[in-house]
Amino acid sequence: MKKAAFSLLVFVTVAAAIGGSRLFPGAVDDWSDAEIATLRSLWIGSLPELPPDPGNAVANDADAARFGQALFFSKALSPSGAIACATCHRPELRFTDGMRKGRGVGESRRNTMSIVGSAYSPWQYWDGRRDSQWAQALSPIEDPAEHGGSREHAVRAVAADSDLRRQYEDIFGPLPDPGAADRIDTTFANLGKAIAAYERLIMPAPARFDAYVEAVLAGDRHRQQELFSIDERAGLHLFVGKAQCTQCHNGPLLTNHEFHNTGLLSLPGEVPDKGRALGVRQVLADPFNCLGRFSDAPPDACAELEFARSGFEVLGAFRTPSLRNLENTQPYMHKGQMFTLAEVLDHYNDAPPAMIGHNEAKPLGLSRTELRQLEAFLETLAAPLATPEALLGPPEN
Amino acid sequence: MIRWCAILVLGLAPTLAQPHGGVVEEEDLCVIKVNYLRGHFKIYQPLTSGHREYCEDLPDATESVFVMEYLHDSLSEAAVDFRIIRDVTGKGRFARWDDIQAIDDLDAATVFYQPPTVDPDVLTVIHDFDEEGDFIGVVTANVGGDGQVYRAVFPFEVGYTGLGFWPYILLLLLLVELLWLYMTGRLQRWWSGAALILVSLTFGGADAYANEWTSQRGIFTVHYESSLDPIEINRMHSWTLVVTRDNEPLEGADITVSGGMPEHDHGMPTRPRVTADLGGGRYRLDGMRFHMNGTWEVMLDITAGGSRDTVIITLVL
Ligand code: HEC
Ligand code: HEC
Repeated sequence: MKKAAFSLLVFVTVAAAIGGSRLFPGAVDDWSDAEIATLRSLWIGSLPELPPDPGNAVANDADAARFGQALFFSKALSPSGAIACATCHRPELRFTDGMRKGRGVGESRRNTMSIVGSAYSPWQYWDGRRDSQWAQALSPIEDPAEHGGSREHAVRAVAADSDLRRQYEDIFGPLPDPGAADRIDTTFANLGKAIAAYERLIMPAPARFDAYVEAVLAGDRHRQQELFSIDERAGLHLFVGKAQCTQCHNGPLLTNHEFHNTGLLSLPGEVPDKGRALGVRQVLADPFNCLGRFSDAPPDACAELEFARSGFEVLGAFRTPSLRNLENTQPYMHKGQMFTLAEVLDHYNDAPPAMIGHNEAKPLGLSRTELRQLEAFLETLAAPLATPEALLGPPEN
Repeated sequence: MIRWCAILVLGLAPTLAQPHGGVVEEEDLCVIKVNYLRGHFKIYQPLTSGHREYCEDLPDATESVFVMEYLHDSLSEAAVDFRIIRDVTGKGRFARWDDIQAIDDLDAATVFYQPPTVDPDVLTVIHDFDEEGDFIGVVTANVGGDGQVYRAVFPFEVGYTGLGFWPYILLLLLLVELLWLYMTGRLQRWWSGAALILVSLTFGGADAYANEWTSQRGIFTVHYESSLDPIEINRMHSWTLVVTRDNEPLEGADITVSGGMPEHDHGMPTRPRVTADLGGGRYRLDGMRFHMNGTWEVMLDITAGGSRDTVIITLVL
């Protein structure tokens, strides 16, 4: 009897020390004050109001958003008549396309990014080569692989469509005639500003994870256990702890909007992508940037551009994506290098030296079980969009 | 090879009047010297070797990515070109710029050429080798546009096995022998006997092979012996691991151990670890204990010589 009691004691101690978190579910529900603060910071309820876009005077204008929505779904901006923004940014796939790289008139250089929540980012694109959504929206139109068009064509397409033309003129005044080169640029910029006004409405809704955080904040253990399985809770512990994911995937969108090199392998047939090292130079040279002539911002509102980090440090670095857009958005990473979350996690676990630049992530030494728990947790971030259904297709008249 | 290059560079050092340079390995870093300018040099074969880094010789005739990260600002502003030629100099490891200048038709020997480009961060070049053999890389930097040209010349081998032709010659000899046996009728007579031996070998060898575990990416192989045989639950014991890489005992490996029951989602009741490097690729693993019957996985995370891979040993208790 004594012996049995002793064995039990040993068993309990050992189990609590090592396997405890799984054998005794209570342990995974214990959050320290510091962890609770972290959880609160990741909670969608902490999402601040959308920051203003000082370069875009119509950013919050409802008519501009409606016009932008029409442009986003319009194939007329492409001379081929076959490509719209929505060809690659499909609303039902969280505004991505399910392909390794975007496919328009040709093939994009990188994986199509989600647009959900990206209005919060001071930088657009994987390499941040644009500093606002309105400046970004102009690039695909002239990218030979995407819309394959030109600003002249885009302005002419708007002029030729009576509905688009009326909307444009209601917001920005009369369209210039296609000959006026300088006015063309301004008009072109205005199209971008309208598209950006629409994109600012595309936001993620709360996920099961957010409900869990609410239960933690309320101290409601029963509800926590109802919402999250043991694996999911253990995975969340890893995410904010040992696995160090919140170094980069932090804040309510689970991204710091910053550029990091995570040591991904280049794609077959390609040299490694230089990422931010090139992007930072491009954004500084972009005539449509915050400091440019077409921006509505006073120069002192362009701090991001002014203090942008460049050099070797950002070689091979890419913008941290939000982890609220993992569902239906495979393949992952800037070249769509990875198809599953398990692959992504294996990569973080190994953290091999980068082909160019320096991999900032460190090998994690997580066990298989831990990787599985982390994956289970990532899946709790899946959520519908907060954007009304009517905005997820071409506007209805 | 690396040493050869060092010799090459040192050998050239006195002839300072002549621009020179090559690839050398310095404190674990592969460095390309373009005269006094330096870059961090590495080659990848992502399709066949993933993240593995090479300094010069490449194992496979396949797509290869050459990376040169500038450690010197002047290189960032220089127009740099990159040429790979088949080694037609006959000088092999000792080839230098003079030998390349002496080639009559450089274009005919060239398998890859990237014209001068200025890139402030890094020079990256991709070439798909369609045959094995000896090659020479030539990096030329035009510094400051005043006609001052610096060069690095580095011979390297593609399809380097370290064994040369011997495996093929042995295979050929074996085939000739078999043919001879067949023609003289001996093979047929031996056949029944051989079949018997084969059967006994297969079955006799089963135990040894069942206990060979290869790491997930195939880099390491582990064989273990338990101090408790057969292994019983709830008893502390130790293992001796025999780790090999490319059939050679692996010394000085860093091994961390974890494990658990995948079906039950829990780990081991202890935290076993390697307590002694016994030499000859043998390591003592202490603190092993399993506390339930069923399928266990023991994961050995092995790091050695810049490679890291995981061996997963499955055992049913
Ligand atoms: C051919 C496919 C394709 C088309 C058409 C296309 N995009 Fe994209 N989009 C991409 C790809 C690929 C990226 C990422 C490219 C990169 O980072 O280099 C991207 C990135 C973006 C981003 C950046 C999101 C972020 O978080 O940084 C926005 C915003 C965007 N696109 C909006 C648009 C708009 C607006 C249009 C129409 C004017 C459009 N796209 C047309 C493929 C496409
Ligand atoms: C050093 C910063 C950093 C850390 C730490 C980090 N990430 Fe990332 N993560 C990134 C960046 C940057 C990317 C995009 C990389 C690219 O495409 O080059 C990314 C991409 C991802 C993606 C793919 C998303 C998509 O839409 O393509 C997932 C999933 C992900 N990370 C999960 C994690 C998890 C889980 C952890 C913790 C184990 C983690 N990350 C740790 C910076 C980081």
